[in-house]
Amino acid sequence: MAGMRSQAMHFQARAGQKLADEVLQGALRRAQPLFTAKRQKGMASLAADGLDFGHLRAAAAAIRQAVLDDLDVWLELFEARAKARGAEVLWARDGAEVSQLVVDLARRHAVRTVTKSKSMLSEEAALNAALLAAGVRPVETDLGEYIVQLADEPPSHIIAPAVHKTIAQVDALFADAHGRPRQTRHSSDIPALAREAREILRPQFLAADMGISGANFLVAETGSAVLVTNEGNGRLVTTLPRLHVVITGIEKVVPTLEDVATLLRLLPRSATGQDISNYVSLLTGTKSADESDGPDQTVFILVDNGRAGLLGSEFEPMLRCIRCGACMNHCPVYFSLGGHAYGWVYPGPMGSVLTPLLTGLDQALDLPWASTGCNQCGEVCPVDIPLPALMRGLRERQQHQQLRPRGERWARRVWGWLALRPRLYRWLTRGLVRYLHWLADGQGRIRIFGLVPGWTAGRDLPVGPGRSFHELYAARKRD
Amino acid sequence: MSARADILARLRGAVAGSDRVTRQAAAEARLLAAARGPQPVLPPDGRLRFQQRAVAQACTVDAVAGWASVPAAVASYLETHDLGTVAVATPDLAAIDWASAGLRVACRGAVDADQVGISGCFCAIAETGTLLLLSGPQTPATVSLLPETHVTLVDSRRIVATMEDAFALLRAEHGQLPRAVNFVSGPSRTGDIEQTIVLGAHGPCRVHLILIGETV
Ligand code: SF4
Repeated sequence: MAGMRSQAMHFQARAGQKLADEVLQGALRRAQPLFTAKRQKGMASLAADGLDFGHLRAAAAAIRQAVLDDLDVWLELFEARAKARGAEVLWARDGAEVSQLVVDLARRHAVRTVTKSKSMLSEEAALNAALLAAGVRPVETDLGEYIVQLADEPPSHIIAPAVHKTIAQVDALFADAHGRPRQTRHSSDIPALAREAREILRPQFLAADMGISGANFLVAETGSAVLVTNEGNGRLVTTLPRLHVVITGIEKVVPTLEDVATLLRLLPRSATGQDISNYVSLLTGTKSADESDGPDQTVFILVDNGRAGLLGSEFEPMLRCIRCGACMNHCPVYFSLGGHAYGWVYPGPMGSVLTPLLTGLDQALDLPWASTGCNQCGEVCPVDIPLPALMRGLRERQQHQQLRPRGERWARRVWGWLALRPRLYRWLTRGLVRYLHWLADGQGRIRIFGLVPGWTAGRDLPVGPGRSFHELYAARKRD
Repeated sequence: MSARADILARLRGAVAGSDRVTRQAAAEARLLAAARGPQPVLPPDGRLRFQQRAVAQACTVDAVAGWASVPAAVASYLETHDLGTVAVATPDLAAIDWASAGLRVACRGAVDADQVGISGCFCAIAETGTLLLLSGPQTPATVSLLPETHVTLVDSRRIVATMEDAFALLRAEHGQLPRAVNFVSGPSRTGDIEQTIVLGAHGPCRVHLILIGETV
């Protein structure tokens, strides 16, 4: 597939590296409680306004699902209304087509520099590399994206791209890029670093010929893009350059402005705990002749890149995703490894579902297993996507497409056969728990388990009391 | 096949449901209905709620009785914060007698060198303490964007409860949307370094509101 090369096949190897990376582990340990506390605050403010999370999320999921049910119709409506307001609407099948369209636009309009506000689709397309190859300089302007661009790394989180970086690392990157000596930094210096980025990036905003943004939503009613940001870079990128290009997935349409209002009660609260993000911009068409600011030309690029294939399948609910990041913020696997271990654009539970679906099941074999099954992600998702169930569905597909190792597939078949024969199953499990109990070291643990040594490589296997669940259950019922 | 035709064909193959004409009509009907989702229960005093939420968003808020007091209120804010006496304002505010308070105000779009931008707003939203600014020849978007300090004049009678109410007002008074509708809630901020929120990213670092009309 074209676009960003997936490294998702190396999940296990990368997981080992990430676990051993002390700096990364420190950054993750600091970040997790902040993320969860922020969402909690957001949920408290919902409740204070008499809104019930479950009720609101049912409404949000229904809006997103209604669009998916008739996605072709909604896209055509959006397209017609956007064009009526003077925007151009282009379509791209995959990342390579996105890059080609943008490079062509840049050539046609003699573009030398591009300022970008966050667009995950441009990551999918590896657009920056394509622009550089065409002699156009892309400048990421979201502070987190700017930091990872300086580090020449992909983002490690969909709303906090540089969550894996410490302040010392940021200072070193800035020092090298901005030509100043490195300094020892403390948390109290964070405002100074943000100020430094503001001052470096301001002239870039003013000089850019083209602004590229994503869109949180496309509004069919008005042919508009909705952009939700805190830094103001989204506003600058879409106001100052003469050409504005919106790159977004085809699933991002919502019907009305009222639907935007409903989704906006959940998106910032789920993402950063804010009641509303600092800037919500509703952008429609181009500037009129008597206006002093705004782009002369607005181009929408609607991208499929594998999404159409999910429609009508058991994985369709994944297309409801509004990219809030709550699932990864509440994921024990994500916070053990960070986002880079997942190997492609999207990390955490939503990435574990999306990456195999968009890049190929055989290209991301471990991701559907990167879960403890705790369902925290499913609990917090503002559009009610059953993430663990979708991961289980992907595992089943792996089994059927013979993508798992032969031994594993065989073991699963044997288990399936046994599970349909309760008497035999009970008799065997009885024997097995006794055997495990006998193997244990007297403190209820197995240190090295010869049958599956990988299991006990990094931890002990805890062992129960030597009686099977069925036995314990029966005993309990007798009491 | 063009990418457009290809993608739409794939989508049509996947969506079940009735024929296209019926589905199109249903979509159009949904647009016309403009149904609202679950609504918040807000306190009756919209002005107070707006003020509280704006302050929670790190805005500063002042109140004056009428438009005649605006220049003095702006001048006193600028003086307190040592921000000089020069500002840029949106052209729709040209009729205000800025010079009466010793201010030198240019009414035009803002440029990078401008330190203070003064604008009005289309309306304000009590639920979240948000300003709604429309772009236009008389209200260029740069004034609320480029300067480090943004002063907004808010007519108390134009405070609505929710974003839905703001959209209803917008439809009633303007019909179609202007190029940019910007919902602004406090000064720009970033949490991208160690998840620590700092005020003043790429947009204004200070947002000061002057509420105009009867005080609480
Ligand atoms: S899957 Fe749900 S929780 Fe995760 S990013 Fe998407 S909307 Fe947010």
